Amino acid sequence: MRITRRGFTLGAASLAASTTLARPALAQSEPIRVGWLAALTGPSSAPAIGFDRGVHYATDAINAAGGVNGRQIELVVRDTQGDPTKAVNAAQEMISRARVHAIWGPTNSGESLATTPIMARAGVPNVHPCFVDALIDTKRYPNAFRMAPSNTQIDNAVGDYGVKILGKKKFAVIGDTTGYGTTTVKSSSAAFEARDSEVVYAGTIEQTQPDVTSDMLRMKNAGAEAIAIWTVSPGLISRILNTRANLDWDVPVIGHPAMGSGEVGRLVDKPENWSNAYILGFRNTSYGDDGKLPDHVQAFVDKIKSEIDLDDTTLWWILDGVDSINIIADAVRETGTTDPKDIIGYWNAQADYPGLFASYTFSPDQHNGLSPEDLVMSEANSQKYGAYKLAPGYE
Amino acid sequence: MLPAILASGLAMGSIYAMMGVVYNVMFSASRVMSFTTGQLGMLGGVLGAAFVGILGLPAIVGLVLTLACCALVGIVTEVVAVRPVLDKLDQHLYVLSTLALALMIQQFVAIEWSTEPQPFPQLIGFGGGGPTDEKFWLPVLACAVTVVGLELLFRHTLVGRAFLAISEDNYAARALGLPERRLRMASYALAGMIGGLAGFASGQLLLAFFANGPYLNFYGFVPVALGGLGNNRGAIISGLLLGLVQQAAHFTFGGVFTSVAVFAVFIVALLAAPQGLFGQPKQRRV
Repeated sequence: MRITRRGFTLGAASLAASTTLARPALAQSEPIRVGWLAALTGPSSAPAIGFDRGVHYATDAINAAGGVNGRQIELVVRDTQGDPTKAVNAAQEMISRARVHAIWGPTNSGESLATTPIMARAGVPNVHPCFVDALIDTKRYPNAFRMAPSNTQIDNAVGDYGVKILGKKKFAVIGDTTGYGTTTVKSSSAAFEARDSEVVYAGTIEQTQPDVTSDMLRMKNAGAEAIAIWTVSPGLISRILNTRANLDWDVPVIGHPAMGSGEVGRLVDKPENWSNAYILGFRNTSYGDDGKLPDHVQAFVDKIKSEIDLDDTTLWWILDGVDSINIIADAVRETGTTDPKDIIGYWNAQADYPGLFASYTFSPDQHNGLSPEDLVMSEANSQKYGAYKLAPGYE
Repeated sequence: MLPAILASGLAMGSIYAMMGVVYNVMFSASRVMSFTTGQLGMLGGVLGAAFVGILGLPAIVGLVLTLACCALVGIVTEVVAVRPVLDKLDQHLYVLSTLALALMIQQFVAIEWSTEPQPFPQLIGFGGGGPTDEKFWLPVLACAVTVVGLELLFRHTLVGRAFLAISEDNYAARALGLPERRLRMASYALAGMIGGLAGFASGQLLLAFFANGPYLNFYGFVPVALGGLGNNRGAIISGLLLGLVQQAAHFTFGGVFTSVAVFAVFIVALLAAPQGLFGQPKQRRV
């Protein structure tokens, strides 16, 4: 057969037309690719391991039920090891090579500070659970949405509990010597002072300092009525709690959720040293006086506790992981596309989106999903199935 | 307030002093400052917690096993990281070899033990947590035992005198027929036992934590520099002073300013006496 110029041109045009027409059909059947930037190994891996259980549970549940509008969810998981450089490389690879439709993560602020501008440039819909305030900016990062509290919300919750519920007026605020500890001591002190109370001692302690008696004596001599502590180090936290008992100084210790970890429970000299200690918690993951979680969360926990190990992690990490996949899936389900603008538009229109961890509210000018009412304090020594008992003073 | 600072200062000072002695014992036998010093202290805590806390062995059995294991680590240090580079001391290759071994030990413990601090069991049940608690006085007791033990060894035994001989002049000692290599290995085993004892006795204070090694390396070196290289008495006195100054600085300044205050004192002391507060100026033959 002779190939003429006219025939070749017509053939090429037909091929181009057919591929163009076929694309929407292909797009409607291809998997929904969700990037999951997870620090699954390394020293800061504990949260991501918890989130990961929720992410996989929700993905498997949706896929088993037939997917989203007939499309399966495909997770594109990259272990960032908590390293911002690796997180940046993984985010770029997800965007340009794997061509994900949305990204969940990273799960720590150091990585997120590095990846958020990259994801914003690419316009990829991004949900994350990081606390640093600067990560949410609807002008610079219109694609980024937070499904966890911000540092300001945390400072306010702890400040409210110490001043309004415990009724204390003089606080010692301490942190470790990391960047997180140093900055949080400042912001937490400001939150207490904004509530007409006095910060009589503010300082940092090295995580490896073997004995904190001298530091605690300074706090006691300064007249502190409560201690706010900001560190993730179980060693430092347990030393503070043990020294408080040794000094026979039973002031409340309030602050970081790490104070409720099982590691701290193993390191305190006596179980009673762990009492009168309250950690930041969440309304939906706190047991009431009846020992029950809110109904919809209790039902979920009852369903999954035989399938997912809840004792070595924190419940809110798992619930937030589930919510992250559901909110991405619902955006695709409701808009019918994986177009980034449509997904972001769907999220911007959510008021009280019914998640397990919280009810999320977003708008074009507000991408912090949690409301202040979602944050409460919990009893540090009351962990069961990854959740904690509501601290005294709440209704 | 003062008893609490004194108890804490003496306890920490005793640990630093013993680390200084570990540096000195290894240095005297080989002229090498080994970075495995801090890891020996770390291992004392971790192995003690494993033998007594997890396996439930009696404290004395746990101590003996800990000392034996640490002695073995000391010997391995000599064989693996020191002996091969002794001929190349001019290049200071021992910095690399002992640092590499120290990192390997630390990473092995992190993988096999835990990256989080683990509890060290109470050994006697004395004191109830206050300034009289055993966690403050066991390190002091261990330091006293070390001082007395070294005095007896060096002054009243033939082996101890042989140690002194190779530390003074190992060529002359070899010429006299002393087994220098065996004595060096024995010195490293002794250093391992002292480091293990320090870690075991301070386990309740420092906890069984894989990252204690660099901390002990760092603060253990200060008594060596202050007391004069190779001078055990100087290391003991300087270590105790360091602990007391550090705890007083914690109380007076707090936070990151503590380290600034401690090292300001350290620098001033070295400016006043560059050979160390208890060291002798080096004699140079002219």
